[in-house]
Amino acid sequence: MIPVPFLTLLLFLPLAGSLLLLAMTRRESLARITALTIALAETLLACSAWFCQGSTTPQAAPPGFFLFLDRPWIETLGIRYTLGMDGISLLLVILTAFVTTIALLVSWRSIKERVALHFLLILAMESGIIGVFLSLDLFLFYLFWELMLIPMFFLIGIWGHDRNIYSAVKFFLYTMIGSLLMLLAIIGIYLIHGQQSGVYSFGLSELIGTNFSTATGLWLYGAFLLAFAVKFPLVPLHTWLPDAHTDAPTAGSVILAGLLLKTGAYGLIRFGYPLFPEAARTLTPLLIGLAVAGILYASWIAFAQKDMKRLVAYSSVGHMGFVALGIGAWTPVALSGSLLQMINHGLTTTALFAMVGMLDEQAHTRQIEDYGGLWSKIPIYSAFFVLFAMASAGLPGLNNFVGEFLILTGSFKVAQLATVLAFIGVILPLVYTVRLIQEVLFQEERRPLSMTDLSLREILILTFLALADIVIGMHPAPLLEVLKVPVALLTGGAP
Amino acid sequence: MTTADLWVAFPLILLAVGALLTLLLGAVTRDDTAATIIGVAVTLGAACWLLQTPPAPLAPTLGLSAARLPRLFGVFFALLAAGVLGLSSGYNRERGISGEEYPATVLFATFGMLALASATNLLTLFLGLEAMSFGFYILVAIDLKRATSGETGLKYLLPGALSTAFLAFGIALLYCASGTLSLQEAVPLSVTSGRPDLIALAGWGCLLAGIAFKLSLAPTHLWTPDVYQGAPAPVVAFLSGGSKAGAILLLLMLLPATADATLLRVPLWGLALLSMLVGNLAALRQNRVRRLMAYSSIAQMGYVVVALLSGKSGGYQAAAFYALAYGVISLAAFGAISVIEREGVGETLDDYRGLGRTKPFASGVLALAMFALAGIPPTAGFTGKFLIFASAVRSGEIVLAIVGILLAALSVFYYLRVVVTLYCKNSDTAESSQPSIPEYLVLLIASAAIILFGLWPDSLILLLSDLLQ
Repeated sequence: MIPVPFLTLLLFLPLAGSLLLLAMTRRESLARITALTIALAETLLACSAWFCQGSTTPQAAPPGFFLFLDRPWIETLGIRYTLGMDGISLLLVILTAFVTTIALLVSWRSIKERVALHFLLILAMESGIIGVFLSLDLFLFYLFWELMLIPMFFLIGIWGHDRNIYSAVKFFLYTMIGSLLMLLAIIGIYLIHGQQSGVYSFGLSELIGTNFSTATGLWLYGAFLLAFAVKFPLVPLHTWLPDAHTDAPTAGSVILAGLLLKTGAYGLIRFGYPLFPEAARTLTPLLIGLAVAGILYASWIAFAQKDMKRLVAYSSVGHMGFVALGIGAWTPVALSGSLLQMINHGLTTTALFAMVGMLDEQAHTRQIEDYGGLWSKIPIYSAFFVLFAMASAGLPGLNNFVGEFLILTGSFKVAQLATVLAFIGVILPLVYTVRLIQEVLFQEERRPLSMTDLSLREILILTFLALADIVIGMHPAPLLEVLKVPVALLTGGAP
Repeated sequence: MTTADLWVAFPLILLAVGALLTLLLGAVTRDDTAATIIGVAVTLGAACWLLQTPPAPLAPTLGLSAARLPRLFGVFFALLAAGVLGLSSGYNRERGISGEEYPATVLFATFGMLALASATNLLTLFLGLEAMSFGFYILVAIDLKRATSGETGLKYLLPGALSTAFLAFGIALLYCASGTLSLQEAVPLSVTSGRPDLIALAGWGCLLAGIAFKLSLAPTHLWTPDVYQGAPAPVVAFLSGGSKAGAILLLLMLLPATADATLLRVPLWGLALLSMLVGNLAALRQNRVRRLMAYSSIAQMGYVVVALLSGKSGGYQAAAFYALAYGVISLAAFGAISVIEREGVGETLDDYRGLGRTKPFASGVLALAMFALAGIPPTAGFTGKFLIFASAVRSGEIVLAIVGILLAALSVFYYLRVVVTLYCKNSDTAESSQPSIPEYLVLLIASAAIILFGLWPDSLILLLSDLLQ
């Protein structure tokens, strides 16, 4: 077993790296290399956690957690520094480290101003996101939940384009309103649990099992659901997302879609359902309804988009609707599907945003109608584009298909009508994806754009993502194996 | 006077003598640096003295106490004054504010704050409050070269004098009702003796009105934007951090002693709600940084009153914590503003465009202060808001908690506007000079304190809950 501070190291290595970058504001290439080194080290560290599974469970760890760290922090308020890693956290942390590395590589050349600050913010955000995925204390969770917003706000605000400030502020305000109400709900649980048991604590494992009156439970869960639904995003709280995506720099879009959206789903799985099983069950029809509405509505809107980034952004809303559907069904199969789909969506959307960013970098336009005939001009790019677009549309053999299939199979028993409607949502992405491919890659050239094909760095980025897509699509069993124990524990069966 | 009495009174004597010495120094030399150095030395000396354990906690003949709560706030006031003096030297030189009267007045105001903090009877308390207010009447208008300075001074002096009159009358009424000036006996007797004693109640009403003015709670807040706008930036830091913490401390001394504060609940409730609403909503529409900060301070004091309302369930600790945190944040914010303005940047938000690049240090501190005021972790502002809302929920003030938290979410918008202007917009100004060493030190310490009390508030909370039992 690895000595205890492993989780602390995993959590704070990027933040320490970002502090290191503070000293390099005038040396751009050094800053780039340092940031990449830190991100790669973090990826290695995250992957090494994979091998900690199955070793003896650490003392006092809740079931399912193979890495656990519990230290007193603000004792007067019962706040502890509790971190834990189970299969769900493991996969999401690896995804975070991987996507962050990609985000750094994607902005390697495209960011020319204040380079060190840009990389510094990305690394700081990585720490925030990993903190969200590891925290088992509600106060700590809230801390990281807020902390990851600030770097993203600056990324969009400083390096974004068009209406970047409007989008950055909109993003921040939407999430803040949701999360402040969640803070009030966290205080509420803390006090109710304290009054019932006499022990004031923010620890998740202590708070699970607190009894609420039906109304109180609904209010508190409602506040949590609101905060998570904004992040998800569920229709009708999604309007910040297309703006934020469109105006963010490529690295911002990649992290936003690849990672930040997952925190909402994760919060619902880790905190929402376990803390308020009764209220969650009562509001399940609402969640499923919003999920299906999101799947259909977002696909419909995506079809009408002229801006490629907006199109991918709306497709994200649709895909996250599937994740919400799986969570709403709360059966082992559907929940594993949702978790797998979170990983898949992270990989595929990261790739699509990176690719749109690459086009934008050369031609300085993201309008679909400006492109055409790319297949003959930049074949390597086009091949990758088709692959990722097809993965996103759910082509069997690629990763998204597995997730969607599991979600639909798992949900059918619980919510038949919703599942049938969601099936239509599987077909719709195919429609707009095929249109996108057709217009951008195959149609006649509409504007004489001089394009050069991918550089070695870009090929490297995309190859890694493509490999991940294909491997998960062909052989998802290892990932599902990792998820099996925590999912069984969450859904109430024996592991 | 015994030696124990002398021990208790020593920091006050030190500050008063220091103030007089600085004034006398003006006859010998025209060098302001010497006066500033003496000022900083005296305040730091007072702070060090207050850190020791006293031989006896009370000096009854003098009406002073050296209990732990007054000493804690005393240290805070002294350090704040030292920070303000550190900030002032550069700012005053640039603005042409010269003369030994500036450090002397700062010391005198600090003397007032310390006297207020350590008072055990209503008379000492009033004297302390008056000494502090007099200091501020002068400091606010000390920038003689500016045309608006006199106007600012008058806008502070006239309502200030009115509020002092209210306080004095309130104290007289309480004395009339209880027959004693002792803080412990005059205050509780009045409200809790069976049915409310009308004279005592009127006394309390006058007291609250006077204190509400000092805290700039709506509807007695009208002076705040103008004074924040017109006074020298370090003075605003002192006013915002020190005088408000003093007023909160005053409430912390009076309210727990009332034993039964239900009669005061309605006016406090109204003050809290109105201040949060007026402050936050008005701040949304400001285009000048200092006016924005003024309305923000009105709103922040509203949150403190929410905590005071839920005093018995941890609210007093929360209010004390927030008073200290807000003081440090004010010092950081107005310290940064003073550094920025010293280099000739204007007052409107537009003038702050792109300063994140040309003045990275001051902008960084200002942005941190904005995040702290917006209540975003891991800052002391977040911990303070967290304590306030936790106490409000615990004592059942759900309406205030929900309204407060929604307004806090709204407030993020105007705090972010400042950050956005600093970092996300481009400016055409060239690189400019660095902050001076004292400015660096003060801002660095204040920023470190904001983060440290955000991440490790444990010892301070523990201390405060111990003191405010």
